[in-house]
Amino acid sequence: MIKTGKHIRIISALLLSLFLISGAQAQDITVNASLTETNFFSGEGVRLDVKVSGQSINSIDRPDIPNTDGLRWLSGSTSTSQNFTYVNGRPSVSYTYGYQFIAQAPGTYTFPPLEVTVNGETYTTNEISFKVLDPKTIDTGQAERSPDIYVRLEPTKERPVVGEQVIADIVLYFKNSVEVSSYQASPGWKAEGFWKEELENRQQARTTSTIINGVRYQRAVLLQYALFPTKSGELTLSPFEVVVQIRQRNQRRDIFSFGLGQERKELATLPVTIDVASLPELDNATFSGGVGNFSITRSINPTKAYVGESVEVVTTITGQGNIPLIVKPEYEYPETLELYNPQENSTITRSNRQIGGTKIFTDILIARNEGSFEIPESRLAYFSPAQGRYNTITLPALVLEAERDPRATSITDTELRFNVEPITGLASWVSNEEVPLSQQKWVWLLLGLPLLILGGAFGFKTYHDKMNSDTAFARSQKAKEKALDELQKAEGQTDLKVGYNHIQKALSQLISDKLNLPLAGLSIQQLSEALKEKSGTEIADEVKRILDKCDTIAYAPNASIEGMESDIKKARELIKQINKVV
Amino acid sequence: MRKTFGILLLTLLSISGAHAQESAQLLFDQANSLLEENDYPEAMSMYRSIEQTGVVSGALYLNMGIASTQLDSMGLAKYYFMKSLNFQTTNASASEALEYVESQFSRQSAQLPKLPWDRAVDWLKNGPGSGIVFLIGFSFITIAVSIVLLKWAALFSFSKLPAVVTTLSSFGLLIILLSFYVDYIDLRYSEAVIITSEIQVKQSANEASDLVSLGYEGYAITVDHTTSKTTDGWLYIRLGNGQFGWIEHQGIKIL
Repeated sequence: MIKTGKHIRIISALLLSLFLISGAQAQDITVNASLTETNFFSGEGVRLDVKVSGQSINSIDRPDIPNTDGLRWLSGSTSTSQNFTYVNGRPSVSYTYGYQFIAQAPGTYTFPPLEVTVNGETYTTNEISFKVLDPKTIDTGQAERSPDIYVRLEPTKERPVVGEQVIADIVLYFKNSVEVSSYQASPGWKAEGFWKEELENRQQARTTSTIINGVRYQRAVLLQYALFPTKSGELTLSPFEVVVQIRQRNQRRDIFSFGLGQERKELATLPVTIDVASLPELDNATFSGGVGNFSITRSINPTKAYVGESVEVVTTITGQGNIPLIVKPEYEYPETLELYNPQENSTITRSNRQIGGTKIFTDILIARNEGSFEIPESRLAYFSPAQGRYNTITLPALVLEAERDPRATSITDTELRFNVEPITGLASWVSNEEVPLSQQKWVWLLLGLPLLILGGAFGFKTYHDKMNSDTAFARSQKAKEKALDELQKAEGQTDLKVGYNHIQKALSQLISDKLNLPLAGLSIQQLSEALKEKSGTEIADEVKRILDKCDTIAYAPNASIEGMESDIKKARELIKQINKVV
Repeated sequence: MRKTFGILLLTLLSISGAHAQESAQLLFDQANSLLEENDYPEAMSMYRSIEQTGVVSGALYLNMGIASTQLDSMGLAKYYFMKSLNFQTTNASASEALEYVESQFSRQSAQLPKLPWDRAVDWLKNGPGSGIVFLIGFSFITIAVSIVLLKWAALFSFSKLPAVVTTLSSFGLLIILLSFYVDYIDLRYSEAVIITSEIQVKQSANEASDLVSLGYEGYAITVDHTTSKTTDGWLYIRLGNGQFGWIEHQGIKIL
């Protein structure tokens, strides 16, 4: 008995496989067209390469070359090349057809799409723009002066913000007459003011053609660096040095030159200045230091722990930008959670001319007591150069439940020998404020007091001693008091003669005592003259007038009690004045 | 009138002082209840609010030390027990507690013995205090002045009076100068305790500066306030082993 059902299934599977393979093969085939130059002079030759590649190519119908404005096809010079490679362990073949053209009239043109039939299917290439230049525009002198080979440092941005990525290309330019066999970058290039990271560079630099000031150069990007400015202002990138091995193509070779005409050349870029702008002000958030595009998360692990057990608060910042320059965010932890040695870890990626990666900050916390503890929410910000503003990410609050480990408690109880009991009754309270000695007023008062007492006592002692030893001083000191006492006797006297006698005695005694004159035997004139020398004419004349009146009162017809009282008053004034001036 | 106003003012001041002490005692009782209920964080919080009222006691600091011990914050406990040590009523208990707390630190700091002069100054500072020392000096000067006054009043005299007066007044002045020196030392230097697990001691007041040493929880250090004033946010300290350096103004408690 023949089992037909099984055969049908096998055949169906084979057919399906073939169909899938053929479909996959069709998808594998690629057709590209490119010009060896896109800027060239009228009269120059240029080649159009049509490349057909795939894993299984059975038949190719070459494309028809259309008439193209700006180019004339040299139909006899078509070339063909074939190349076999292995891609992901599978063989691949590519056919390249080269068509030579001569550039015609100057202008800007477009090479139209070509139709290529591969394995019976038609593929269309992209159109190619190109420019035919007028050779008359070439300044011959300038072309001759231009260097055969030089290197340039080409930053992608002239005015970045602090922390923003700038790609710096180290580009080698050389004329067609120069053949570069190798190059070596000098180590130790410093980009001061930048954090720099070397990007993944090709083993062999790919060259493209370009025209600079009418001169054709080959352009090769040797190295690429990602630079991140760490401060604002004008920052200068120092010259980058490259050593190249070159050979002049059209130079006559010496038949004995075993070095094959090779030459070692040291090249250096010109310094490049980049104007770095500062970051704008930030409100209501903490700046993480990140400039780029990031995602920020925060987690706690575990959320429940025993007292004394370590817990991790992990902050993960992932994205593209200045990953290594991102700083650890500071969180407000409850007092009971103790922070131990924070850790940080970062990985950096360098793909597609962009530095990125992940930075992880880990805070290790230990709960010192049981309870539920909340780590408050935090707002972290990074600056996005693409958007030109800060993006703020709110990290939600985290909660940790800490409880005592029953086993740990029993162990602690046995180990503890802390027998000090708290004081729970009445306490003796004192002020917490302590004023320094030098700022207390009573200290300075007490310091001055002995000096004051000594000074006063010394003055009194000196006065007392002088009163006892110096008669003239003693008479002078007591003169006013004695004079006033004498004048007191005149007051209320009804006998004018007796009254005026007291006035005369008071004034004469005062002048004698003050001027240390004999108590008796001096005339009114002598007293007045002596007084005039000390007190001046006015007081002396007034004294003399009253003394004369006292002397002649017995003969005065108009004398009265009122007149005497007036003279007593004047005499009292004179006593005060004399006491003051003498 | 003036006398009445003075009496009124004195009464008001004494009432307000008494009120502060009453409220402190009230809060203290409440905090003690929380301590007995093993609610150490709340008890600690209440003790701190008492401290902020401006009145303190040895019992307050002792209980704060006990609460800190229970919260496993040994550096803080050491700080409060050292504060409590200065009060006669709690001196013995604080000493015992300090002995226990010191034994709990995993790292012990070497302590250089102090010079005799420094020990004497410390004794004067923590014992009688600069005010009492000043009054002793002042008393000598007062006696000298009194003898001079009695001599001038011819009430008192003896053959070696000038020598006695000179000696008494010189001695008094020296003691007064000593009291000001004690006051200066008290103002310039303070003892402190590290309360975080670790602090970095730098050679200069700069984060990028070289590391001199590491200070661990419980280390007793001396803070030089005069030198520290030259740089904001940094303190100039002396470690127990005699090393000097700068630390950021956090993670320590100044006594």
